[in-house]
Amino acid sequence: MRLDITEDDECFRRAARDWLADNVPAAPAPYDGQPARDYALDWLATCHAGGWSGLGWPREYGGQGAPGEKLILWYEEYVRARAPSVLDCTFVAVNHAGPTLIALGSDAQKAFHLPRILEGRSVWCQGFSEPGAGSDLASLAATGRVEGDEIVVNGQKIWTSFADIADYQELLIRTDPDQDRHRGLSWVICDMTAPGITVRPIRNMAGVTHFAEVFYDDVRIPLSNVVGGLHDGWRTAMTTLGFERRTAAMGVQLALSIKVEDLIARAEPAPGSATAERLADLRAEAAALRAMTYRTVFRDSATSSDGSLMRLVFAELAQRIAQASMDILGAEALTDTPPTHDYLEAYSETIAGGTAEIQRNIIAERILGLPRS
Amino acid sequence: MTCDLNRTDDQRQILDAATAMLAAHYPVARLREPRTDSMAALAEFGGFLLAASEEDGGAGFTLVEEALLHVRLGHHLVSPRAVAGALACRLAARQAEPALAERIAAGAAEVCPALPHGDGHLLIDAEGAALALAFEGRRLSLIELGGTAPEPVAGLGHGGIATSRLAPGRGRRIAEGDDRACLTADLLVSAQLLGIAEAARDLAVDYAQTRRQFGKPIGAFQAIKHHCANMGLQAEMLSAQLDMAAIAARDGRDDAAFQVAALRRLAPRAALFNTRTAIQVHGGIGFSAEADIHHYLKQAHVLIRLGEPAPLLDLPAALAPRTNRPRRTPCASP
Ligand SMILES: Cc1cc2nc3c(=O)[nH]c(=O)nc-3n(C[C@H](O)[C@H](O)[C@H](O)COP(=O)(O)OP(=O)(O)OC[C@H]3O[C@@H](n4cnc5c(N)ncnc54)[C@H](O)[C@@H]3O)c2cc1C
Repeated sequence: MRLDITEDDECFRRAARDWLADNVPAAPAPYDGQPARDYALDWLATCHAGGWSGLGWPREYGGQGAPGEKLILWYEEYVRARAPSVLDCTFVAVNHAGPTLIALGSDAQKAFHLPRILEGRSVWCQGFSEPGAGSDLASLAATGRVEGDEIVVNGQKIWTSFADIADYQELLIRTDPDQDRHRGLSWVICDMTAPGITVRPIRNMAGVTHFAEVFYDDVRIPLSNVVGGLHDGWRTAMTTLGFERRTAAMGVQLALSIKVEDLIARAEPAPGSATAERLADLRAEAAALRAMTYRTVFRDSATSSDGSLMRLVFAELAQRIAQASMDILGAEALTDTPPTHDYLEAYSETIAGGTAEIQRNIIAERILGLPRS
Repeated sequence: MTCDLNRTDDQRQILDAATAMLAAHYPVARLREPRTDSMAALAEFGGFLLAASEEDGGAGFTLVEEALLHVRLGHHLVSPRAVAGALACRLAARQAEPALAERIAAGAAEVCPALPHGDGHLLIDAEGAALALAFEGRRLSLIELGGTAPEPVAGLGHGGIATSRLAPGRGRRIAEGDDRACLTADLLVSAQLLGIAEAARDLAVDYAQTRRQFGKPIGAFQAIKHHCANMGLQAEMLSAQLDMAAIAARDGRDDAAFQVAALRRLAPRAALFNTRTAIQVHGGIGFSAEADIHHYLKQAHVLIRLGEPAPLLDLPAALAPRTNRPRRTPCASP
C-alpha cells in the first residue's frame, strides 16, 4: 500500500497548477440558460486548447489515457484553483455519455460525437426519469415504435438537467411493448432539435431553471442512434450510471475539502467553541471522503456498489457543509449570496442520481448481502 | 503504478496469520467468563515488534501493518493492554531501556493502560501488570508499578471492565513519550476502534440474516437494512481514512499529523454509532449480558479514553500526495 508520486507526476502537477492559475475564469459561472451554456462550453474549449480535456479518456478517442495518479492530481489542483464546478452542463457529455459511447457505441457514433464532446462543441442531457418512473426507473413508459430504419418516440421525461440548452440526449425508452421492466428498453441518442420535442423548463427551489420536462410527440430517431443494441438499453443505462457513480464524481468529491477549508477561513471560529467543533468534524469527514475517493481509484476491487457508498457519504456531507455555512452567516443567511444559493442547491444531493434511500438499499443488499425486499 | 491501495501479498499473509492466532487464543467467546487477557500469545506472534527494524528483532514490517493488525485485535476485543504494550515498548526503547523493551515485547512484562482519575489513576486490566502506560491528554508516560497494589473498583456494567485505582503518588514514572509516540497511539487506538465498528456491523448483518419475524429474515425489512447500511458507511469511511493516515505516518509525510488527527476524531463516533446500532438490530437479546455485542460497546468506551485527539483545526489542511524525494531534474517545459 503506497501513495507515492513520481517526479514526473510532480511536474504534471506543477504544469496543471500554473495553467489553472492563468486560465481559470475570474467571473463566476452563470446559474442557468444560454449564459450557463456559453460559459461552460467556453471553459471546456479552453481546457481542450490547453491540452487538459479528456484526461481519463483513452488516447485513441482523443483523450490522454491518464493514469489514476494524474487524474487525482489534476482534480486536486482543479479544486484548489477554485475552477468552475465540474457539475456544469458539460458533465453528462464528458463524464458519462462520452464514456458510454466509448464502451458501447458504434464507430460512426464515436467518430461523430466524441470530438464534439471533448472540444466543447456539444451539450448533452440525460433523459431517464419520468413522472411515473423515478427511483423505479425500470417502470418507464415512454415508447419507441420501430418503423423501417427509424424509431418513433412518444411520451414524457422529467427532471432532465440542462434539457433546455442541450444538443443531444441519452434517451431511455421502451422499444419492445411486449416486454416489461428491465427488458425491451433501448438507449438512443436523441437530437434535441428534432421535430416533435417540446422542452418546458422547471424552476428549482433555489430559483434556478436547471432542469426541465421534455415531451416527445412522434419524434423520429434513426435506428442507427441506438447505443448498445436494440431492446438491450438497460445494460447500456447501467453502464452510464456506473460511470456517473464512480470516477466521474472525483472532481465533485474533492471539491468538498476545499469548501470546508473556505468555510473555516470565513467562520474564524473561537477555539473550543461549538462552531469550531462542528467545523473540525466536517474537516475530518471531508478527509475521509477524500480517502474513499483515492480508494476507488487505487484499489482493484472497487465496484459500482462501492460507488453508492461514496455517493451517499458525499451527498450527506455536502448537505452538512451547506447547513453549517448557512448557520454561521447571521442575517445574511436570508439574502441571495453564493453560500445561501449553495445551501438550497444542496437539497438535491440526496435526491438526484438515485435517492439516499435507494443508495442505502443498494449498500445493504449488494455490499452487505441482506435479502432483497 | 506508484499509488496502490491494494493490500500486498505480505500484508495478506501476516493478517491471515493474525486471524488464525486470534481465533485460537482470543476467541470472543472467552469474554463470557471474566478474566484478563495475557499478552503472551500476541507477543509470541511478534505483535509488539511488527514495525520494529530487523536489527531490533522486528519482522521488517511497518506501522501500516501494525495498524492493520490492531484492526484485527479490535475485532477480537483483545485487552487494551495490547495498545499499552505496543506504546510502552517504544517509550522504553527511546529511554535507552532496551532490556525492558525486550521484556515487554516478549510478554514477560505486562503493561496496562492508566487514565487520570481524581488525583491518581484508573487502571484497566491491571491484574499481574508490572507497568502502566498513562494517557494524560496528549502526554504518554510509562509508570513502573513496583510493589504497589492497585485497589479494585467495580468497572462499567457491574464488572464488565476490570478497573482498579492507583493511589496518588504511587508508581514511578520511568519514561515519557514524544510526538511520534502520540501519533502512534492515535493510530493504533483508532485502528482498534475501526475493528470494533466493523465487527459490530458484521454481527448485526449476520443476525439480520438469521433472525426471522413476520415470516422473513429481519434483514428484509428496510428499517433494518438502512441501519446496516449506516454501519457499513461508518466502517468504510474510517477504514479508508485509516489507510491514508497509516501510510502518511509510515512515510513521515508532512500531512501525517493532519491525517491521524482526522482519523482519531472520526473513530470514536464510528465505533459508538455501530455498537449502538448493532444493539438495536439485535432487539431484546442485544440488551442481554448473554449476547456479545455489549462487550464491543464497553471496549469502545475504554479505547476512546486512551488519549485525547489533537485539535484538528490547528493543523494545516492535507494536500494531495507529493513526492518525498527532492527533485533532481527540472521539469521539461510543456
Ligand atoms: C437536481 C436534480 C437533477 C436531476 N437530473 C436528472 C437528469 O438529468 N436526468 C434524469 O433522468 N433524472 C434526473 N433527476 C431525477 C432523479 O434521478 C430522480 O428525482 C430520482 O431518481 C428520484 O425519483 P423521483 O423524483 O421520482 O422520487 P420518487 O422515486 O418518487 O421518491 C420519493 C421518495 O420515496 C423514496 N423511495 C422511493 N422508492 C423507494 C424504495 N424502494 N425504498 C425506500 N424509499 C423509496 C425516495 O427515496 C424519496 O424519498 C434529477 C433530479 C434532481 C433533483
